[in-house]
Amino acid sequence: MNKIKLGIIGMGRMGITHYSIINSHPDVEIVSVADTSKMILDILKKYVPDLQVFKDYKELIDASKPDAIIVCTPPNLHYEVCNYACEHDIHVFCEKPFTANIEQAKELKEKFAAKSLINQVGYVNRFNDIFMTVKKYINEGLIGNIVRFRSEMFTCTVTKKEETESWRSFRENGGGAVYEIAAHAIDLVDYLIGKPDKIVGTSMNQIYSKHVEDIVSSTFVYNNGTSGTLYVNWCDTSYRKPANKLELFGIKGKILADQHGLKIFLNADDLQTGYKKGWNTVYITDVFTSVDFYVRGNEFTRQLYYFADSILKKESGNKCDFSAGYDAQYVMNQLFVDSESNKLN
Amino acid sequence: MEKIDKIIFGDNQFFGINHMSQEKAQQLSEKFFNIENIYKVYDIAFANGIQAVMLNSNDRAREICDYFRNHKSQYGHLSWYPSIPYPHKYANMVNEKGIFPAINDVLFKNNTALGVLGMVAKGGMAVLNKDAIELMKMLVDVEAKIYKGLNVKVIFLQNIIVDLLLGYDFKDVFYEYCEYIRKKYHAIPGLITQNLPFLKKKLEEWQIEEVVICSSINKIGYLMSPDVPTYVETINNNHSDKYQLMAMSTLASGAIRAKDAYEFINSLNLQSVVFGASSEKNIQETVSLINIK
Repeated sequence: MNKIKLGIIGMGRMGITHYSIINSHPDVEIVSVADTSKMILDILKKYVPDLQVFKDYKELIDASKPDAIIVCTPPNLHYEVCNYACEHDIHVFCEKPFTANIEQAKELKEKFAAKSLINQVGYVNRFNDIFMTVKKYINEGLIGNIVRFRSEMFTCTVTKKEETESWRSFRENGGGAVYEIAAHAIDLVDYLIGKPDKIVGTSMNQIYSKHVEDIVSSTFVYNNGTSGTLYVNWCDTSYRKPANKLELFGIKGKILADQHGLKIFLNADDLQTGYKKGWNTVYITDVFTSVDFYVRGNEFTRQLYYFADSILKKESGNKCDFSAGYDAQYVMNQLFVDSESNKLN
Repeated sequence: MEKIDKIIFGDNQFFGINHMSQEKAQQLSEKFFNIENIYKVYDIAFANGIQAVMLNSNDRAREICDYFRNHKSQYGHLSWYPSIPYPHKYANMVNEKGIFPAINDVLFKNNTALGVLGMVAKGGMAVLNKDAIELMKMLVDVEAKIYKGLNVKVIFLQNIIVDLLLGYDFKDVFYEYCEYIRKKYHAIPGLITQNLPFLKKKLEEWQIEEVVICSSINKIGYLMSPDVPTYVETINNNHSDKYQLMAMSTLASGAIRAKDAYEFINSLNLQSVVFGASSEKNIQETVSLINIK
């Protein structure tokens, strides 16, 4: 393969960012985009004359014949787009949440695996310098077996009653605090601890949204005795930027982490890492690795370059594949089921 | 191109921005909730010889600009280096409504004073259809109006926008931005980036010159893509009559001791440094350590 011919389907906020990032990859050529907005297609066509633009994703795939696509449509359309791409042997990077339906997630996971096409979901925390470091330390046994954890995420995404409705207003379309925000906190648990065996005590609150949840909390239980809690709020105006917060309590110590740094408490000195008994602070500046092109955080570049490099067989492609997408979808589905059963009336 | 100030006082410390520690950011944001405390720090900076201010067009910038305009006899000699836009304002609106409705709101909803009512009468967004340049100019006007009447030397475009557009290879947008800032605002166009070597190469290729480029520059390579050696080479081969280079994040959010940080900065062919600090001791120390040619 010379250059990867790439198409982007859905030019909303994520599509616009992904275009800029992946366009900088030396082995990628963006050949086409699809969106339902004529305005964005006209603007792109005007400033990128060679780009093929389409109003329909099927036309994009049929006419521009990309090797790979990036899918950034509303989540309820992910299934049909990915499915069509799979039928045409196209590698897919799909934004999170993977689908808005658990059966569809399972089907896509199996179909792509059977065809050995590169498939990746946009759980970007797996490419964050701090969380990659946490993963490494857990694997090395720095804090021993993890007994208890908290995974939290706070954003100020919804801070008043909705004036207009969009796909974000409905769960069937992939809207709501669980699909949009908790998905990240859940994937971090899947990535660092594993998929929970049972989900209990889920409750959800509405503050501003009419049809979807604004706050969710739950408890995850594991067969090996580990348990942990999830707490996510997308109406929290005390946070200027989205924040993932993680607390992991192990038998040899504890880790507190967010996207920008981590604190490690150890019960004894650790010879391998050099961390001392007691508190140790690790800043992002201690562990970051640079990326070739920066738009909005190293992790965003790293995840898309990983996708391209996996197609080029320079990476294995399994760091955040559709089975990770399915796992998060499974947990989110359980949250909805459990919270229904916990309602008082 | 007019020479820019060698030392410029930044504003992140005032607005709860600290790339390293959310906790530290929160403490500072509490301290500076009372705007008088911000003015006190500015006075310390000016007493230590600083005569230039970089200020992002965030929620509180309007009030700060009003203050300095209203005290012109005392502060009239200062040079201003605004940066636009305030990215989080847009990020939140875009999350809620989508991109074009958000732009529509910014341009048309609360800006009758700007005289854009005429645009609405002509058909609102339809006028902007297919013309990203016109859209860009209107957004610049909305953001830049709070600095009117101050001695504005450079108008910077924030890195989130610059680097996004850089990825698209949109020569025309860069060219038109620079021309617009020169002609309408009689200021030097400024671009903030986390990709200095790539941006500079592109500007040369596009023959866009007489621009100030501001970028994170620190010896550990934090927020410097692709890496330190490429930065050093780019900076040291630069002709400052074409591009004046300004360093920010020189301490890498506190990861580097000031003395070491500025030894590195002083060794490079840089024209300016922007830094933020909130204590007299740190301001004095930084001013004494910066010694660029």
